[in-house]
Amino acid sequence: MFSLFFRGLATGSIYSLTAVGIVLILSTTNVMNFAQGDMGMILAFIAFVLLMSKMPYIVAVIVIIIIGIILGYFLEKGIMSRIRKTSHIAMVMITLALTMIFEGIVGIFVQTPLLFPAAIPGPPVILKGVVMDRQDLLSLGAALFVVTTLFLALYRTKIGIASRSLAEDEYAAKLMGIPVKNIYIFIWSTSFGLAGLAGIMVAPRLSLEPTFMVVVQLKAFIAAVLGGMNSVVGAVIGGLLLGVIENFVSFYIPQIKDSFSLILVVIVLLFLPQGLFGKKETRRA
Amino acid sequence: MKKILTITFIVFAVFIPLIFRTRPSLVYFINLSLIYAIAAQGLNLLMGIGGQISLGHAAFMAIGGYTSAILVMKFHTPFLLALIAGIALSCIFGLIVGFPSLRLKGFYLAIATMALGSVVTDAIRRLEITGGDYGLANIPSPQIFKFEFSSNFTQFYLILVLFLFTTWITRNFIRSKSGMALRAMRDSETGAVSLGINIANYKLLAFIISSAFAGLAGVLYAHSVTYLNASNFGLSFSIDLLAITIIGGLGTLWGSLLGAILWVLVRNFLSLAHLEVYAGIFFGIILIVIILFMPRGLSEIILRVKLLNRKKATT
Repeated sequence: MFSLFFRGLATGSIYSLTAVGIVLILSTTNVMNFAQGDMGMILAFIAFVLLMSKMPYIVAVIVIIIIGIILGYFLEKGIMSRIRKTSHIAMVMITLALTMIFEGIVGIFVQTPLLFPAAIPGPPVILKGVVMDRQDLLSLGAALFVVTTLFLALYRTKIGIASRSLAEDEYAAKLMGIPVKNIYIFIWSTSFGLAGLAGIMVAPRLSLEPTFMVVVQLKAFIAAVLGGMNSVVGAVIGGLLLGVIENFVSFYIPQIKDSFSLILVVIVLLFLPQGLFGKKETRRA
Repeated sequence: MKKILTITFIVFAVFIPLIFRTRPSLVYFINLSLIYAIAAQGLNLLMGIGGQISLGHAAFMAIGGYTSAILVMKFHTPFLLALIAGIALSCIFGLIVGFPSLRLKGFYLAIATMALGSVVTDAIRRLEITGGDYGLANIPSPQIFKFEFSSNFTQFYLILVLFLFTTWITRNFIRSKSGMALRAMRDSETGAVSLGINIANYKLLAFIISSAFAGLAGVLYAHSVTYLNASNFGLSFSIDLLAITIIGGLGTLWGSLLGAILWVLVRNFLSLAHLEVYAGIFFGIILIVIILFMPRGLSEIILRVKLLNRKKATT
């Protein structure tokens, strides 16, 4: 029972990490980023190459996050900033085009699923009858650490407060002299870095193949809807909640395991359109 | 001018099977392009006018195709009835995901259809009647009142007629009251609402028509390719359909056909050269280039030529 709960929490922490990236981008730049999962996928693939060339795990993780930040910079600078004024659909389509490219690139090298090494291999930890996988513990810890850091950054640093003001009202933020362009770069870089971390956390549980993050990304979107699309807190709690509910559902009612995600989305959108923590401004159109 | 273009296209299209009499496989690829163009036409309507994105059109195609194939193969239903059933079922699924998500502002439809897509492919893999992982093979060719469309050539005419039909519906929808309401909404949402336009209903209507097109495309795919497999209708194919629509030209009537032809041609060219893995990268890059530099896709080339002519005429 508690093992099940813990397992759900660990799965949920991965959804949270991905969902936080999605919500960060959506609330500030108004783009639904359908490449969040595949950004993590391609970074996990680079991490795999680095690890195979005998780089220590922790160094590889840091390198990956740095690569993610650089890629995020180029994405915003090179593409997104050019079409910000054209249309929303164009920006969403760019993220979909990125998934095609990323999956295509990794598909060239990975024809059969690869086994991604675990960060801390070893038998599961058993604490008072609760079985805890080491990888799960690690991803839960990493998620908690990242989310706390992110919160401190968003609420205590200048750039974080500026990003939140941008999410609140872009026009007013500009008038206040906030360097909007730099904030966009900051947001895309952070999300890309988060995606890389999520990718490395998921890869050992599944196996490395071009589409391994697609399911995670879908769940992350559902978590974001559950938490309210514009709230970072909501994304974190929505992710954890979804992980736990999903684990219990697939254990006790395995018949609806597959259709569960769709049922949940429809129910949430029907009865709780602004999610658990969303602001009321997501009004009905 | 536009009418002349349309008529020449139709006349030319009618003679295609005669021109390629000796190359039935080429006609097969043309058929395939037309089928994808039907599905893309639905997306064109949804995105170009409704301003919404669907990530589940491959799933709607799967729903239409499997429904019709199962009805014809296992229950010996006449093809026409199976076709209608396939379209109706995709409409119902469209309603289920469209109703809750289209009342909200933002791209909730994309999330809901993405969830639908994963559920549909999982269900098809799990069920017995759909052939599970093996899929369905040897689906009979379409048959309307004793006449069997058995060859690629006869199928071409059937698919062409249905494609023109969907294009005609799209054109009329754009010009209808619903189309005008949606265009008003796209240009100014506050303005549209203050005129008493109920946006959600029009968006839902556009989405249901668009899922019906995808269902129709799925039925035609099932009976002309004669083989269905769940793995062909995943999320990546939905994204490919979106790419076809945008590359061809959003909001233009013939864009989806242009995009579909390019997609089928490049795909098969690459697979002849054993370079299928590069198809995704190729289309991803084309898509980005088109979005950055040619908002109206390949149709823009035609559009620009036209504008040039008009400029010459005025000066």
